[in-house]
Amino acid sequence: MKKLLAAILVASVSVSYACSDYLDVNTNPNAPQSVTANLYLPPMLHWMVTSPQYDGRFVGHYTQEWYSTNTASITPELTWGRMGYDPGSDNGAMQWRDVYWSLGQNLIDMNTKAQAEQRWDLLGVGLLLKAWGWQVLTDLHGEIIVKEAIDQSRTSFDYDTQDYAYQEISRLLDSAIVLLQKTDGAVNQAYLAKGDHIYNGDRTKWLKVAYGMRAMMLNHYSNKAAYNPVAVIADVDRSFASNADDPLLTYPNANPFDDYNFWGRSRNNITLYRQTQFIVNLMNGTQFGGVVDPRMSRMLSPAPDGLTYNGVDPNLTGFGALGTAQQPNNFFGYVGTGGLGLPGRYLFDDKAKIPLMTYSQLQFIKAEAALKMGDQATALTAYKNGISSHIDFVNARNLDNNQSPTQITATEKANFLASPAIVPATLTLSHIMSQKYIAQWAWGHNELWMDMRRYHYTDVDPVSGTEIFRGFSPPTNLYGDNGGKLVQRIRPRYNSEYVWNAAGLDAIGGLAADYHTKPIWITLP
Amino acid sequence: MLSRRVLSVLALALFVFPALAVAQSTGTIRGRVTDAGTGLPLEGVQVSVEGTRVGAQTAPDGTYTIVGVPAGPRFVSVRRVGYAPQRLAVTVSEGAAATQDLALGRVATQLNEVVVTALGQTAQQRSLGTAQQTVQGSTIAETQRENFVNALQGRIAGVEVTSSSGIPGASSSITIRGISSISSSNQPLMIIDGLPMDNRTMNTAVLASDNNSTQAFSNRGVDFTNRASDLNPEDIETLTVLKGPEAAALYGIDAASGAIVITTKRGKAGGGLQYSNSFRLEKTGAKHSCKRVYGPTVSTTAAGLTSFSYFGVPYAPGTVFYDNVDGFFRTGSAQTHNLSFSGATTDGRINYRLASSSDKTVGVVPSTDYSRINLTGASQAQVTSWLNSDVSMAYTYDNNDQVYKGDIGPLIGLLLWPQNDNAKDYLTAAGTRRLLTTLGAGTEQDNPYFNIAKNKINAKTNRILANVGLTFTPMSWGNLKTNIGVDNYTNTNLILRNPDSQVGNAFNGMLELADVLTRNINVQTLLNFNSHQLSKSLSISGLVGNAISDYRTNADALKGQDFLDPNFVSINNTNQRTSKTTLEQRRLIGAFAQAQLDFKDYLYITGTGRNDWTSTIPKGANSFFYPGVNSSFIFSDAFPGVRRFMTGKLRAGYAAVGKDARPYAYRPSLQYKTTSNGGYGYDFWGPNLALKPEFKKSFEYGTELGFLNDRLGVDATVYRSTTTDQIVNDIRGSYATGFVLFNLNGASTRNTGLELTVRGTPVLRNAFSWDFQMNFDRARGKVLSLPHALPESYVSDTWLYGNVRNGTEPGLSTMSLTGMYYLRNKAGDILIDPSNGLPLRSSIFIDRGYDRQPNYTIGLTNTFKRNRLSLDFLLDFRRGGDVFDATDHYLTTHGLAMSTLNRNTPLVIPGVLKDGKENSATPTVNNIVIVPAVQTAYYTNMSEELFIQKNVNWVRLRDIQLSYALPEGFLGTRNASAFVKGTDLFLKTNYRGLDPIVNGNTAAVGGSGGTGIDFGNFPMPRGFNFGFRIGL
Repeated sequence: MKKLLAAILVASVSVSYACSDYLDVNTNPNAPQSVTANLYLPPMLHWMVTSPQYDGRFVGHYTQEWYSTNTASITPELTWGRMGYDPGSDNGAMQWRDVYWSLGQNLIDMNTKAQAEQRWDLLGVGLLLKAWGWQVLTDLHGEIIVKEAIDQSRTSFDYDTQDYAYQEISRLLDSAIVLLQKTDGAVNQAYLAKGDHIYNGDRTKWLKVAYGMRAMMLNHYSNKAAYNPVAVIADVDRSFASNADDPLLTYPNANPFDDYNFWGRSRNNITLYRQTQFIVNLMNGTQFGGVVDPRMSRMLSPAPDGLTYNGVDPNLTGFGALGTAQQPNNFFGYVGTGGLGLPGRYLFDDKAKIPLMTYSQLQFIKAEAALKMGDQATALTAYKNGISSHIDFVNARNLDNNQSPTQITATEKANFLASPAIVPATLTLSHIMSQKYIAQWAWGHNELWMDMRRYHYTDVDPVSGTEIFRGFSPPTNLYGDNGGKLVQRIRPRYNSEYVWNAAGLDAIGGLAADYHTKPIWITLP
Repeated sequence: MLSRRVLSVLALALFVFPALAVAQSTGTIRGRVTDAGTGLPLEGVQVSVEGTRVGAQTAPDGTYTIVGVPAGPRFVSVRRVGYAPQRLAVTVSEGAAATQDLALGRVATQLNEVVVTALGQTAQQRSLGTAQQTVQGSTIAETQRENFVNALQGRIAGVEVTSSSGIPGASSSITIRGISSISSSNQPLMIIDGLPMDNRTMNTAVLASDNNSTQAFSNRGVDFTNRASDLNPEDIETLTVLKGPEAAALYGIDAASGAIVITTKRGKAGGGLQYSNSFRLEKTGAKHSCKRVYGPTVSTTAAGLTSFSYFGVPYAPGTVFYDNVDGFFRTGSAQTHNLSFSGATTDGRINYRLASSSDKTVGVVPSTDYSRINLTGASQAQVTSWLNSDVSMAYTYDNNDQVYKGDIGPLIGLLLWPQNDNAKDYLTAAGTRRLLTTLGAGTEQDNPYFNIAKNKINAKTNRILANVGLTFTPMSWGNLKTNIGVDNYTNTNLILRNPDSQVGNAFNGMLELADVLTRNINVQTLLNFNSHQLSKSLSISGLVGNAISDYRTNADALKGQDFLDPNFVSINNTNQRTSKTTLEQRRLIGAFAQAQLDFKDYLYITGTGRNDWTSTIPKGANSFFYPGVNSSFIFSDAFPGVRRFMTGKLRAGYAAVGKDARPYAYRPSLQYKTTSNGGYGYDFWGPNLALKPEFKKSFEYGTELGFLNDRLGVDATVYRSTTTDQIVNDIRGSYATGFVLFNLNGASTRNTGLELTVRGTPVLRNAFSWDFQMNFDRARGKVLSLPHALPESYVSDTWLYGNVRNGTEPGLSTMSLTGMYYLRNKAGDILIDPSNGLPLRSSIFIDRGYDRQPNYTIGLTNTFKRNRLSLDFLLDFRRGGDVFDATDHYLTTHGLAMSTLNRNTPLVIPGVLKDGKENSATPTVNNIVIVPAVQTAYYTNMSEELFIQKNVNWVRLRDIQLSYALPEGFLGTRNASAFVKGTDLFLKTNYRGLDPIVNGNTAAVGGSGGTGIDFGNFPMPRGFNFGFRIGL
């Protein structure tokens, strides 16, 4: 009997040993651990275009694109609006998140697979993404983690200089340009198109993006001796030929929330934001000899009467001195918080496309470079191209979801470009940069802020004696920690760095209360 | 696969064993068992014949019959929980009936009491080398709490119960000996009749909204029942708490935080029909005082209100005020009906019990209710002389309606709503939400009446717990016991955010459905070796066993947004739908053994060992062994001279227990992204292929002393446990790693504590008796280190209000609170901003010594009996421990708290200016006068630090009951009694909020959770019950 019992016992205990695969249930059934290379691409492309908009809520306060009128909360109006920041908050660090996490290991996996499979077109886009990441991060934050980045075995990370980051961007873009020209290997438009909903897999368009990014990067050196306007212009010329080349992200509105345009009313991100008097003055004739910009009524929001254009004053809270009848409507074109489910305007619609960069933007870069090398003719042509193509851009955006504003007619456009106040005989930097500001308003925050920092916000055009950003004045009541200085950079992401990598930050002075006012290397001579 | 193998083993056993049964000559033993003290019959006494497999339980009249006893001289052993066992010699003749009556002694000494121990075994108290404590099922049922977990507070030293709120169906968390895990569950394992029972609280992570940060609940704002509350309290026979890992070592990984071992009722001969009921009325007690002095802040430019802040001009004299709070609450009610039939065949070979219960609670907050139906069937049968079967099935249906809590809940809405507006009038003429401000429906705080009428949180659960047990006793030296159990439930949730409401407006309404299907299978096999005499004074007993578990939960969630008809609640009425499934599976195998040496019945040494194999740790590290040893020494028996004065026992124990990770913790996986055009990208969690199990090592020492013939007893325990390689979930790192969160080994925590139970019977006369029991508990938990020397670890769901969270750092309590507290100089003075005279706050989370862990708690029960009347009550004391009154902070920042009344009085905030000299010998003392009414930032930017109330004490009357046993035969009943009872009638505390027992999250949150964070939470109501119990 004992034998029998022992046998049963052994039998039941041995169940544990017999089924050696019994414990193999720890492969996550809810999600895969690896996918084909092109499936990593869509979220990264989404964030490349959308993530700058997240931070644009705050950068847009620095650049006075808009101000929040939400007096119930001190942020962002009394923090970012006074060129400060939100202590202990991850506000203004969405791109930090997306470069290190949304791209991060995904980009490494995608590039590794693309390289192994000789998908040079996909790898080219991958390197371009990598370059984009370092570009926007270093422009926002200055010193960033490049060499040691994306390493799960590390618990602390050293920061690299901006100089190094720029070298790395340059190297990556050069490689991307080589790869995107290749047609051998497994280059395949259909394969790339599965992940690329911007250009549907057309590598030649991505090649133009790479040139455009290099032009923009090289143009940032404008304060340095190494500045090479010829190289900038050469890259612009190899980049977009017209608005048709613009990399635009469509928002399919299929998944409520995440794939809605960030500025759409449904996302509710800027319902309480209002345009500043600064942008209004750039367009209502105040700063351009009384010429009213035809784009104003298609981009900005009137007061409830539909006619008057006002903006908020950064030095006053909320709507300041504006009475109810003078307060601008919200960006969707409605009073108060209205507009849910209704058509928006310009970029402020659930389905409006947002660009990564535009032909118009590059033409202004070309104009600036040409002007700096004394080539008025090239500068003027590029400048006019910039304005003209942005007018087309405004019209196109107002059709993305059949929004309500009427289109700018050819006559309106022609009349505007014929005004000497807009297109003078002798072009000045203040024309170029102020018009570039308009063309980048509400989407091109990273470049826009870089422009303003390159010209120290309030630099005066040596030729015309006017302010380069016409009518811009920083807030008079600067944020407490600034020590009276203007903002120059955003602190690295709080919950990534201040909490978990303080030693790395300390090495670059990042723990100082006024760290955000320390100028970044690229803007220094 | 697995279950087929097990079944075939059992089938084999069934076929083989009958061949072993040999015909024998048999006789019968019968008799009657009475209480030696009172002479009254004792029911439920286990009478068994040693060396055989036959036995019986006594009927309510105390009689028993054992048939089929092999003829010859036999020993009968008689055991009943709470009494001293007895052993008597009987001679059985073939075909004849021997009579053996006996009387069982009640408190000969508690050391001889029979108690339930791990693995559903019973043992004498004297043999136990570790601390455990038992509560009778009747005591739990009599508390009339629908969630039996809430009945345990104060009744067991070392057990801490925190209910999330006073809403019916609110989740309750239970911890034993404090918080040791920083991020994982600290709740004990629930064992029902030998097998684990799921006590999960649904985590909002399974909801489709959780993938979206603007929609996610993150276990705040909503609550769901902890699943142990599905158990019918009336079905509990006894509940034993195994406090340390020592005893729980045998239950494996999941019992690392202790185990609650529940034995459910079985049928007894002559049990008959029992009916009981309870009717309950509830009122909510404390109320926030709402201020009617200052009116709302009025914008100079906008027409109408722009916020619910009250920094405006005083209300004009003669303003009509509405008592919005008073009319809101209602009288809650509850009724419970319990019906059971039980009985046994005359030969005692088969018994059964069928029970049903219905419970319906209507909460004091309108729209909240909880109803439950329980059906239970249990039967034991002696199939052959060597085979016993035991089957129990319990079905539960419950239906729970709750309301939101926190800033989206009706309490905050009630407090915030202007007093000069009638909140009851919450709809416009058109039937839509009546708005008061220009903020818009998505920003304006919901009118509380609108909130409860139009939003909805409903959960329905269907659950079956089945447990089949077979005991083979083909030999006299031991038995083989196998249990197979299935715990299967479907939990259907509906969460509605009305299109007009604050929470739903941005999405034009949101309806979430989530069906959680859980199926847990447990198989446990034990081979018990009966006591075997090694020498005259030394005997050995033991067991070896094996347990296999397969846990599987599948949550199917659906979210619909954009309602077409704003009032029709159906996913079909939504324009945009998102779905999400979450499948979670975990498997465990354990093998364990225990051996106990017994020297002369006064020295016991027990050794245990268990090896676990888990699916959630990488192969190679997923098998781990942990030992335990404990000893019990009855010094009063070893030194008989002592026994004249007292009985006494010393015990000491050491044990280790391993713990695994949650499923899928070590390998990163990709997530289908819902950003434009889909695609895949990594989830937040980075890889950790080196993940290994954590270990908890625990020492405990204790003594049990009895004086004055055991009329006074003391049980004291000190313990110290250390967790090393603790797995911290969701710990953050630099994003430069490529990920946001990691699951890492490397934390260590230490828990120490003292538990003291004093029980006594000061009066014991025929007509009158008085018993008391005092449970004292002091527990301390400390974090010794964090993985990779990270500065802080916190559970992000607890960052639910302002800038305070359950963050902890090395050297701090496991229940600390970190926050963006005031900056101070070296001398501890608050730093003041020289530009405005207001204090400066830290921009990072820092520690200021806040600790939610109480210094000690005491539960005091007293029972008075006089003839047929009995009175008992439980007082619960607590000393120390901090509570964060976020509600008060919220009211202050909105100009509503009483403390904002003196806003026109100029003041200087005590502190020093941050002018560079703050840390010098002569800091500049602040002399900047501010007028709060003008500088409202004084209130709106006030640190939460000022609202963490230090050293919160309380005395509360948890339960008080008066019951009367009616004379036998009253109206033809066999027994009848009636009772009146009060719950939570009385609370005296220095806490200035509503009730310091709070949890800002739900019981689903790990670590120390949101315990002690009070934000918009409804407290436990006061209840008054009455009812009766009859047996036919």
